[in-house]
Amino acid sequence: MAMMAIPECLQGPEQLSVTGPKVIFSFELFGTTVNFTETVILEWIVMAIILGGCAFLTHNLKVRGVSKRQAIAEMAVEAITNLVRDTMGKRWLWFTPYIASIFCFSIFGSLISLLGFRAVTSDFSVLLTWAAMTFALITWTKLKFGGVGGYLKGFADPIPVMLPINILSEISTPTAMALRHFGNIAGGSIIMGLIYFGLTSLSHMIGMQGAWLSIGIPAVLSLYFDLFSDFMQAFIFVMLTMVFISNAGPQEDADGA
Amino acid sequence: MLGFLSIDIGTILFTLANTLILFLGIRHFLFKPVNNVLEARQAEVDKSIKAAEEAKANAEAAEQEYREKLTAAKEEAQTMLRNATRKAQQREEEIIASAKAEAAGIMKQNQAELEREKRSAERALRSEVSGLALMVAEKVVEREIKPEDHARLIDEFINSVGDAE
Repeated sequence: MAMMAIPECLQGPEQLSVTGPKVIFSFELFGTTVNFTETVILEWIVMAIILGGCAFLTHNLKVRGVSKRQAIAEMAVEAITNLVRDTMGKRWLWFTPYIASIFCFSIFGSLISLLGFRAVTSDFSVLLTWAAMTFALITWTKLKFGGVGGYLKGFADPIPVMLPINILSEISTPTAMALRHFGNIAGGSIIMGLIYFGLTSLSHMIGMQGAWLSIGIPAVLSLYFDLFSDFMQAFIFVMLTMVFISNAGPQEDADGA
Repeated sequence: MLGFLSIDIGTILFTLANTLILFLGIRHFLFKPVNNVLEARQAEVDKSIKAAEEAKANAEAAEQEYREKLTAAKEEAQTMLRNATRKAQQREEEIIASAKAEAAGIMKQNQAELEREKRSAERALRSEVSGLALMVAEKVVEREIKPEDHARLIDEFINSVGDAE
């Protein structure tokens, strides 16, 4: 009966399950079932955090006598603007807010797992959506700068035999992006789940009544699997997006115009 | 509960909409205000630089003007000095010339007077000598002297007096 003295939250997980997001409700639309999952609610929470943060940082901006909040906002905007300018060139500067939103969405969507929620980015559908948006922008850029003829001719480049390989590479670009990001975040969360589960079992095995070994040790690993990995993946995803989209267009002039 | 690697059309549609909303939101709440402020600051800096450049140009123009004025003033002073010197020289020459003329006039007058006095002295001497000669002649006549001797003696005497002048 000594076990009852320990609160349930300190018992640690009793089983490990790897599942997708919960479906909150479903509805019929044009004959298909559309699910409303917990991912969407978490997305809303993340969006509220990001937009609230933006509104907080940018309220009461001044040209002179900059406050700390404003300095942070300006630094963030300038940093991401410079990143886009260096990676994509001046022509794509209008693209900066999109990169910023994907970057923030990815980081905060991953970091929300630190609050005990399911990471938004461990839902493959989310990454697939973002990768599809990148793919759409790549295709749009190719069509814009090359025309339909140039776009279709690009598949037979340099020789027509390459057609299937070119189609594969075209499709593999977004797929690889989505899977890379998803795999890292979801894999990290599985590893962290395994560690918690393992440490709990170990605690019980050596005669502890609570999962005491789970205190401290996972935090160090979480630095990598949650913080570092989340930042890395967000950065990689937006870098790839920028590189692929700017490469889809013609090379910039030497003066960067 | 969906599968771990499920592809869910509902999530995709909602995520697409959410991403677009986030894009618009970030653009509106972060980029627009911050870029506006940055542009305003840039404009202010540009304005300050322009104003400073204008002020500098004005200062340079003023300096140039003063320099020119200074040069003109110096030239004027030089001219005035030269004119004054020339006038003074002229005046000096005039004064000297008039002084010379005056001195020459005085000299001439003196000489004429001297001449006159000499002449009157000569006359006085001649008459006195004549008298003296007569006196001497009377004495010589007493000692039987011819009239020829008498005249010759007088002339000799007068000439010797004239030489002694």
